[in-house]
Amino acid sequence: MYLFAQSGSNAALVTFLIYTLAVFGLAALSNRLLKSKSFLSEYFLGSRSLGVWAFALTFAATSASGGSFTGFPSKIYSHGWILALWIGSYMVVPICTMGFLGKRLNQIARISGSITVPDVLRDRFNSRNFGLLAVLLIVFFMSFNLIAQFKAGSLILKTLLADVEVFHGVSRGLFGSITAVGGSLEGLPGGPEYLLCLLTFGIAVIIYTTYGGFHAVVWTDVMQGIVMVIGVLIMLPLAISLVASQAPADTGGLQHATESMAKMTPPRKGSATLTLDTVPTEDLHLPGGSWFAIAGDSDQPTRLFRLPETADFPAGQGSLTKVKLVEITTPFEIERILSAFESETSTIPGALYRNVQLSALEMNSYAYGADKPGTYVTGPGPDVRNAVGFLPLSLAFSFFFMWAISGTGQPSSMVRLMAFRDSKTLRRSIMTVAVYYGVIYFPLILIFCCGRLILPGMDGESDRIMPAMAVHLTQFAGVSWLAGLLVAAPFAAVMSTVDSFLLMISSALVRDVYQRNINPDAGEKTLKRLSYLFTLLVGSAAMLGAIWPPQFLQDIIVYTGSGLAAAFLAPVVFAIYWPRANSQGCIGGMLAGFGAHLTMYLAGKFINGSFFTPWRPYHIDPILIGLTISFVSVYLITLLTPPPPAELVRKYFYRSV
Amino acid sequence: MSSGKLASDFDPVFVNSRREALIILCSWVACLIWAVPYCYLNGYPDESFDPAQLETTWGIPSWVFWGIVVPWILATAFTLGFCLFVMRDDDLGAAAGPNTDTPSPAAGETNVATVKPEEPGS
Repeated sequence: MYLFAQSGSNAALVTFLIYTLAVFGLAALSNRLLKSKSFLSEYFLGSRSLGVWAFALTFAATSASGGSFTGFPSKIYSHGWILALWIGSYMVVPICTMGFLGKRLNQIARISGSITVPDVLRDRFNSRNFGLLAVLLIVFFMSFNLIAQFKAGSLILKTLLADVEVFHGVSRGLFGSITAVGGSLEGLPGGPEYLLCLLTFGIAVIIYTTYGGFHAVVWTDVMQGIVMVIGVLIMLPLAISLVASQAPADTGGLQHATESMAKMTPPRKGSATLTLDTVPTEDLHLPGGSWFAIAGDSDQPTRLFRLPETADFPAGQGSLTKVKLVEITTPFEIERILSAFESETSTIPGALYRNVQLSALEMNSYAYGADKPGTYVTGPGPDVRNAVGFLPLSLAFSFFFMWAISGTGQPSSMVRLMAFRDSKTLRRSIMTVAVYYGVIYFPLILIFCCGRLILPGMDGESDRIMPAMAVHLTQFAGVSWLAGLLVAAPFAAVMSTVDSFLLMISSALVRDVYQRNINPDAGEKTLKRLSYLFTLLVGSAAMLGAIWPPQFLQDIIVYTGSGLAAAFLAPVVFAIYWPRANSQGCIGGMLAGFGAHLTMYLAGKFINGSFFTPWRPYHIDPILIGLTISFVSVYLITLLTPPPPAELVRKYFYRSV
Repeated sequence: MSSGKLASDFDPVFVNSRREALIILCSWVACLIWAVPYCYLNGYPDESFDPAQLETTWGIPSWVFWGIVVPWILATAFTLGFCLFVMRDDDLGAAAGPNTDTPSPAAGETNVATVKPEEPGS
């Protein structure tokens, strides 16, 4: 087993190195394009020349983000089949996010010569203030999001390289060097390994994005998109066949997984004091993933616990307090895991310890689903904190709304809609992305439902389920070298999102602030230098911000994504489809959407005690409220204010004579 | 109509895009009406639910199969059909150079690049 793990980890390191080299190669090729075309249009928009594969895969890869390959698998593992409904609106996401605005937004950007989203709004309404407001909101939201994405990328890389010896050595060396020159990294979250991953990930992304611009981002997105789909397509049969190998003769793998999940009850999470039967004479490490069984008697069955993180016993100390644990609560699972360890062909990773005593147990049950078989195969799904379950009906509506509609309102998606070559490219790309999402998202649900059987007890560290499954599946299929490719998928996903966001912020500063407000006469050489400089500065600032990253990673991503949609969707929809729309209405709608959304989060601070637990009246998500208020505001304010200038309407809505 | 022109003079890209956007919006509503209520009615059982009686189709809980998998396949088929047979191939016009607040032409006209010339040494 150890040898398998080593070869899988080394494969991960080799894959990562090859991958990084390929990314730099693409950046170098892209930079050559910059020399032959108009710099700004090429650097920030790829000269509106994207073909089908480039446009489809850059759109899909950017939208996918790290969440699709870390957060989503973690949620499937934690909440079960209900995630099918949670992600259900992805069935129409491609046609909504690309088809709803695509053709018209692209045309308006061409008419006005716009290369950014603020550009479009400013030119469509001939309003400098509108452009600046849009820049302000994009920089505000994207900066927070960028820091969170840097953290996500670093965490994924850390997991990817966790078992590589040289990685730990270099991390400690780097940490020591910084401390030696007087730097203080006291209390750095994630330790030296996180810092090394952040610097490696950050510097790689910043260099290739700065050097190659939009085309580098697009081409790497294409590569990343291909890596993602290959990863999923390889994992699916491996996961189902591994579960099938444990199933009764007449039962298929997926059927066995679902039937087993139907019997499961959520685990308990908490902590305990671990006491060894002998005091160690030298430092002892109990690795994360170890199991502890406490024998029961005739009245009480055996209790089974899993250790999510390594427990370090210093020499001479035989007990540790407050050690995090996960307790398996389903009798048939306890029996299955214990008997697996007794057999020679165990598929459960880790080691079982029967000689470790557990005391001062403080285990907490799920707020919804505890002791309730069937909760992993039905709605609303188990939930640790929420007493009404993971996905009550109102939230199911909100999420169906959120993925398809708020995805349409993301400026990072909009800017890609301004970059395709012609409407034939758009049509073919929508078809490609529709098939692509179908091949990625539903199979992920199947894979990680099987994951509950393959890797039980990972509820305390479900964010690691994707790389853990990749390494485990390939080991048992005898193809450990594939692990590197599979775990590269989530890394690719987050990289493709970070590079796009980085370019969006620098384009907002160079194009929308500097060129259009400070120095309209700036020449290409100045703009080129500024573009490189701002991309470098914004990336470096985000990387520095991620050294002490915000705690609520996924919450920040949700807040910024939904906030951008609440602010941008209504103004853009009215701007391109309603000739009567004017700047007052659209500015009012943008501010109203932003304000309403922010208010729900601020109210959450007072009502729920945390900014990132927003107020949800009747379980309605802030995005729904923000978007509704934004659309209504644009409409009403527009009707109450004068019509737009005739020449603007003529320019954008009528055929030329 | 503030420009005094007729609706028939609307730019065809605008007219086609608006029509297509309405169809897309309807398709989203149709999927919403199918998926969420179906899953709620069939996949959110009451307290008397016996997990041993869970119905499956090809190993997938039947409420997921009929509430998500089937509409997902149909929605993908609709997307392909829509892109192949409904969405128009419109001429989006020539790409302009980045605007630096110089007036640009109307829909359908060819734009003129307005970027500044190269500076010496660039």
